[in-house]
Amino acid sequence: MASVRPSPPRWATRLLRLFCAPQRLDELEDDLDELFQQRVEMEGLRQARWRYWRDVASLMRPSLMRRQSNDPAYRQYPTPSYTDMIRNYLTVAFRNLARAKSYTFINIAGLAVGMAASALIILWIQSELTYDRFYNKTDRLFQVYNRDKFSGITQAWETTPRPLAPVLKQDYADIEDASRYRPTTFILTTNEKNLSIDGAFAEPAFLNLFDLPFITGNPRTSLSEPAGIVITKSLAEKLFGTTQALGKIIQVDHKDSFSVTGVLDDLPNNSRFSHVSYLLPYTYFISSGWGSDDWASNNEYTFVLLKDEVDPVITENKIKHVTAQRLKGVLDDVSNRQIFLHPARKWHLFSEQENGSLVDGKIVTVRLFGLIAAFILLIAAVNFINLSTARSEKRAKEVGIRKVAGAQKRSLIFQFISESVLLALFAGIVALLLIALCMPLFNTVTGKQLSLPFSSIDFWLTALGFVLLTGILAGSYPAFYLANFQPIRVLKGTLQPVTATFSPRKGLVVLQFTFAIVLIIATLVIQQQIQYGQNRESGYDQNNLLFSFLHGDLPSHYDALQQDLIRSGAAVSVSRSLGPLTEINSRQWGLSWPGSTKADKDIEFDRFGTDANFLKTTGAKLLSGREINVRQYPTDSTAVMLNETAVKTMHLKNPVGTTIHFHDRDWHIVGVVKDFVFASPYDPVNPVVVTGPGSPIGLGWTSIRLNPANTLARNLETTEAIFKKYNPAYPFAYTFADESYEAKFADEQRVGTLTSLFSGLTIFIACLGLFGLAAYTAQQRTKEIGIRKTLGASVTSIVQLLTKEFIYLTVIAFVIGAPIGWYAMNKWLQGYTYRISIGINTFTIALSSAIVIVLLTVSFQAIKAALINPVKSLRSE
Amino acid sequence: MKGTYLGEFEEVVLLAVAIRAGDAYGAAVVNEIEQQMNRSVNLGAVHSALNRLQEKGLVRSEMGGISAERGGRRKRLYTVTNAGRRALEEVRELRSQMWEAIPKTAWS
Repeated sequence: MASVRPSPPRWATRLLRLFCAPQRLDELEDDLDELFQQRVEMEGLRQARWRYWRDVASLMRPSLMRRQSNDPAYRQYPTPSYTDMIRNYLTVAFRNLARAKSYTFINIAGLAVGMAASALIILWIQSELTYDRFYNKTDRLFQVYNRDKFSGITQAWETTPRPLAPVLKQDYADIEDASRYRPTTFILTTNEKNLSIDGAFAEPAFLNLFDLPFITGNPRTSLSEPAGIVITKSLAEKLFGTTQALGKIIQVDHKDSFSVTGVLDDLPNNSRFSHVSYLLPYTYFISSGWGSDDWASNNEYTFVLLKDEVDPVITENKIKHVTAQRLKGVLDDVSNRQIFLHPARKWHLFSEQENGSLVDGKIVTVRLFGLIAAFILLIAAVNFINLSTARSEKRAKEVGIRKVAGAQKRSLIFQFISESVLLALFAGIVALLLIALCMPLFNTVTGKQLSLPFSSIDFWLTALGFVLLTGILAGSYPAFYLANFQPIRVLKGTLQPVTATFSPRKGLVVLQFTFAIVLIIATLVIQQQIQYGQNRESGYDQNNLLFSFLHGDLPSHYDALQQDLIRSGAAVSVSRSLGPLTEINSRQWGLSWPGSTKADKDIEFDRFGTDANFLKTTGAKLLSGREINVRQYPTDSTAVMLNETAVKTMHLKNPVGTTIHFHDRDWHIVGVVKDFVFASPYDPVNPVVVTGPGSPIGLGWTSIRLNPANTLARNLETTEAIFKKYNPAYPFAYTFADESYEAKFADEQRVGTLTSLFSGLTIFIACLGLFGLAAYTAQQRTKEIGIRKTLGASVTSIVQLLTKEFIYLTVIAFVIGAPIGWYAMNKWLQGYTYRISIGINTFTIALSSAIVIVLLTVSFQAIKAALINPVKSLRSE
Repeated sequence: MKGTYLGEFEEVVLLAVAIRAGDAYGAAVVNEIEQQMNRSVNLGAVHSALNRLQEKGLVRSEMGGISAERGGRRKRLYTVTNAGRRALEEVRELRSQMWEAIPKTAWS
C-alpha cells in the first residue's frame, strides 16, 4: 500500500533534516507527511507539494532550530550542530593567530597591501573597459574612419568629408541615423561671466545616437533650432549659478546669441564626450561659412547608428567606396581610398592605427596592468603559502590529534582553507582602508576619478568574492600540505622538514623575486627612456617662449600689438606663426621640386608659418641662406625655409634659391634651418617647410620671446595689459613652450610612476615574506647556531650561513627575470623610434639593488640570531 | 510576569488544542484551525506557537503511543494545562465584559 502513496518533495525533506533540531525531526516529519497525504486527496498533488515546501520553509525559524531545550526530555539528543565544528576551527584559528603575532602581522600586511594594490588596478581596468558602453544603442554605434595608402603605407584616420553623413543616411537602408560632429572651443559670455571652454557642433541626430542624460529640455528638438545651445549641468552652474538655465541667453565668441534649449547632466568620465561642455547646432557651423562641402577635405567626425540586427561587416562592404566614387578625378588615385566602421565599444581602447587598421591602443596598458595585478596578488598569496608551510611543524601535532580523533582529510582541508579565508577577510578590511587612503593619490597619478561604490551590492559581492578567491588561492596549497601529514609520524615527533635541494618554498621565493626583478628592470628602462627623450636636443630655446592665439580684434591690430610688446620691454622678439611650435598644426603633401618624381607627391611635410623673426623668437639655428622677413622683403610672403631633413628628403644640392611648387603656386627657398623637434620627442624629425604669410592657411597665432632680464610675472603682466588694450573682450590665454614640451612626456611619466609604484609594492610584499621566512629559519636553527658559536664560529660566518641561501635564490631569480624583463621592455621600446638600447648597466643595477634589498631584509634576522649568547640558546636542554 | 499575554494566534492554537482534547499534535491542530477558521496556516507557525505556549506553561506535551498509520513514529501530544484553561477563560471574560460595555446606541 505504501508504494502507491505519492511522496513529498525529496529536496524539501532533505533541507528540513539539514537544518532542523534533531530532537524535533521525527514529529515534524510526521506532521508534514500527514498533512501532505491529506492535501493530495483534497487539493491535488501540485498544491500539496507546494504547501509542503511552504511548511518546510516556515519551519526554518530559530525557535524550532535550537538544539537543546530546558525540557529534560530533550536531553537524550547530544548531536552537535553543523556550526559546532566550525566554531572549533575558528577558536583554534584565532589562538594560532594570536600566538604568533608577528607572522599574523606579516601575513595580513602582505595580503592587505597586495589586495589593495590589485583592487586599485582592477578598479582602473574596470573604468577603462567601460568607456562608451553606457549609451542605450552602444552596440549599434560606429564612427566612420577613412583609410588610404600613401607612399605604400596604409593609413587610417578619423576625420571624414562633410557631405558623407547625409549621403550615408539617405542612400543606405542599413544606416538608421547619422550625425556629423565637430569639436570646437569658444568663448561663452553671459551677463558677467566670460569663459573659454570646449564644446562641439552636432546635428539633432547626435542626440538620437547618444542618449545623453537630459535634465531639462527635449532631446529631439533642442539642436534643431538654429539658435539653440545645449549645455551641461556644470557649465550651467558656472555661467548662471543654477541648473535652471532653460531659455537663458549665451553669447558665443562675442558674436551670435544662443538660447539654452537643454541642460545635460554631466557626462560620466568614461565617455569620449566627457570634456564637451556644450553642443551647438551643426547648421550654425555651416551657415558661418566654416568648413567646406568638398569631398576631398576631411575634417568632420561622422557617427552612424546601424539598424537593429544589421551585420556591420556587410554594411561596411556596402559603404566602402562611397568617398572613392566621389573623389574620382579629384584625386590622382582613389583605388585604395576606403571608409570603414569603428564600433563604439572599441573607441577608447583600440584607437591606434597600424597599417590602416585600428588594432591596438590603450588595451596594451590595460593588459599589462591586469597582468601586474594578478602577479601582485599572487606574490601576496605566495607569502602566505611560504610562511604557513614553513610553520607547518607547529600545526603538525594538531593535525595528528585531529586525525586520530577521526577527522577526515576533507574536513582538515576545509579547516585550513577557512582559516586562510578568515585571514584574507581581515586583510580585506585593512585593504579597504588602504584603498580609501590611497585613492586620491592614485587618482592624481592616473588622472581618473575612481571611487569605491560603497552603496552598491555588486561591489560588496565582488569584494567578498575577491576575499574568497585570495583566501583559497593562498590557503589551498598549505591546506593540502598540512592535511597530508601522517598521524603516526607527526605524533611520534619524527617529522622532518623537507630538505630537498628544490623545495616548493624556495621555488616560490624565486618566483617572487623574478617578478620583482622584471619590475625593477621595467622601471629603470622607462626612466632612462624618459630622460633620453628629455635630453634630446629640441633645436630651439623653450625658455621664456610663449604662444597665444590671436583672438577677436588682435589680427587687425597685430602691428601695433607687436610694437607695443617690444617697446614695453616685456618681449625681445615677436612673430606671427601658424601655431605653437610645440605641436604640428598642419601637414602638406603634393610638393614638387626640380628633380621630384610623381611618387614624391605622397611625401608628407610638417608645416609651420612665420612672417619674420622666426630665428630670434624661437631660437632655432640657421644653416644657410637667410630667414623669412616680409617686413624687409615683401616678396617673402611666398618664401619658404626648409629644415635639414627636408633638404635631405628632396635631394637638393643647393637649396637656397630653388623654387618649389605646392598649393597651386611657386615658393622660393630662402634658407635652411637646423632640425628641431616639432612633434613627439620620440619620433624622428620629419621634413618641415616653414612658409611665409602668403599661404591660404592664415597665421593665426603669435609666438613671443619674453625678455629674460625681467621676472616672468612682470613680463606676463605687461603682456596681458597690452593684449587687453587691443582686445578687451577676450581673456589673455597663452601656453608656455617649456610646459607644452614637458607635457609630451606625460604618458610616459604616468606609466613610469605607476610602474615604479607597483615595483615598490611588489618588493615590499616580497620582502615582508622574506623577513618572515628569515626569522623562521633563524629561529629553527637557534640551537645549531649556539653549538657553532661554542665551537668557535664567528658572527660573520654565521650571518653568512644564514644569508647565503637567500642570495643564491635572488641570483636564480635574476637569471630567470632578466631575459623576461629584457624581452618585455625591448618590445615596449619598439613603440618609439627615438629610443635607448637596453644596456648592461640596467641589469647590473637591477641585480645589485635586488641583492642589497634581500641582504637588508635578511641580515637583520641573521645578525640577531648570530648575536644570541649560546648559553641562552642551549640552556633548555 | 513573562508569558501572561496571549497573542491572537496563540489563542486560536490553544483553543484548537482544547478542541482536540487527547489527540492534539501538530498536523491535527493545523487541520482543526483550517476547518474552523477556513484559512490556511503554516505548520511552522503552529509549531512555534505551541513551543511558545509550552514555554509559558499553558500547554504541556508528552510523547504519544506508536501508531501504524504514521510509519511507527511517535507523535507529541499536547494538552491544555490548568493555567491554559484559566488564560482562555480570562480572555473570554474580558471579551464579554467589553461586549456588555458597548452602549446600545453604538449600532444605530
